[in-house]
Amino acid sequence: MDVSFQVNGRRRCVSARPHDRLVDVLRDDLGLREVKLSCGEGLCGACTVLVDGRPVSACMMLAVRADGAAITTVRGLAPDGELHPLQAQLIERGAVQCGYCTPGMILSAHALLERRSDPTEAEVRGALSGNLCRCTGYQQIVEAVLATARERRGAEPT
Amino acid sequence: MSASTPPPPGQAEACRTGLPSAAAINSRHPFRPSRYHRPAAVAEAVELLDRHGPEARVIAGGTDLLLEAAPGVAVLVDANGLGLEGVRAGDGAVEIGATTRFAEIAASPLLQAAPYRALAQAAAAMGTPQIRNQATIGGNVCSAVPCGDSLPALLVLDAQLTVTGPSGERSVAVADFFRGARTNALGRGELLTGIRLPAHPGGTASAFVKKGRVAVGDLAVVNVASRLGLDGEGRCVDPRVAVGAVAATPLRLRGSEAALDGQPLRDEVLRRAAERAVDGIRPIDDIRASADYRRALVRVLVPGTVGDAAAAAGREQASSVPRPARGGP
Repeated sequence: MDVSFQVNGRRRCVSARPHDRLVDVLRDDLGLREVKLSCGEGLCGACTVLVDGRPVSACMMLAVRADGAAITTVRGLAPDGELHPLQAQLIERGAVQCGYCTPGMILSAHALLERRSDPTEAEVRGALSGNLCRCTGYQQIVEAVLATARERRGAEPT
Repeated sequence: MSASTPPPPGQAEACRTGLPSAAAINSRHPFRPSRYHRPAAVAEAVELLDRHGPEARVIAGGTDLLLEAAPGVAVLVDANGLGLEGVRAGDGAVEIGATTRFAEIAASPLLQAAPYRALAQAAAAMGTPQIRNQATIGGNVCSAVPCGDSLPALLVLDAQLTVTGPSGERSVAVADFFRGARTNALGRGELLTGIRLPAHPGGTASAFVKKGRVAVGDLAVVNVASRLGLDGEGRCVDPRVAVGAVAATPLRLRGSEAALDGQPLRDEVLRRAAERAVDGIRPIDDIRASADYRRALVRVLVPGTVGDAAAAAGREQASSVPRPARGGP
């Protein structure tokens, strides 16, 4: 059946079967390979996308349910190729190793910073608790998110 | 190196390495409904469910449905367009629409209030932030999984479930809704539309705790909810304790409740409640934990949640004591 939604501000239409997952439609039909697929059961968060601003595991959402939604992938945070502040901080702080968890991490962090301008470390860790990283041990990721929050408030990112 | 068997028409092609694409792998998955409906009214949803019977399943968040991956599901009936979302206060009670997301329940000021807090805590403990943005309380209840996080909280809060079907609307006590593991009391064509939490007297408080193998994202090894009030002398009034993941359905712990009822919450009372907590539970050894560990957890978590609820009930009492008027003697 025809499903139509916005991805990164652009209207897309796909033909999806009832059991097709959003992650597969984004990756394979739309070629958006920045959306990663890992556990396929909603635990690791690698496939995190924003649906109407809220982080969702795309492997656990049927594509047919995305009809009419506004979807954001990490590509949508960096239009024109300019790094989003979160991306810049992650790179700066050595918070990216293999990079596989990174798109999902960025979207979960972005959603947090959109609603909390001054999150505590506990709130950052809570917001990222559905995004697993096998490489970094999370510390630099958390620091990058806190630094981005400070930067957005006009304070010293230190 | 030749490509693998060409994909069926209309399907995504294999990626550059010749390996099948994710969609091609996914097509071998047993969960393959062929029809999807998005009714605009409850009556339409009921008609679809009645017509298709066991071949049809309601999809709300879909997070349990996709994991269950039942092969016999032919028809999906999407419940998200039926206006069943939201948490509302009404004549002292709280009404929760069946397709309300766990994220909304966790953040609801109404449900964070002391009497209902066990449910807000349960919602915050369920899944991951991403899953909580999709999964619904109605889906959790109807899945009737033994470890469902909302279930012990709903039991101690005496929730009433509103079920709508071909013969109209009926109300089912949550305690009567779970017939066995993954077996609920819905009849053919019936749909859970709402959950009603009755009013609780002032000074009542509830608490919930979940233990999994990891802090976030795991199914519960054990989950426990308690609810109680305190009288003027600090004695326990109308205690409720419920536990999940230790039997085919969530259970009320009547033995613990009897040990607490009318008693001041001193250490020996809590100890008795802990000892009685394992009466009637039937934990199993599974991939997450042994039966023995589950029994040990229950003995600790029951007095723990009772203590939390009592502390909150004490604060409720203290804050409701009338203050003397300004300028008084």
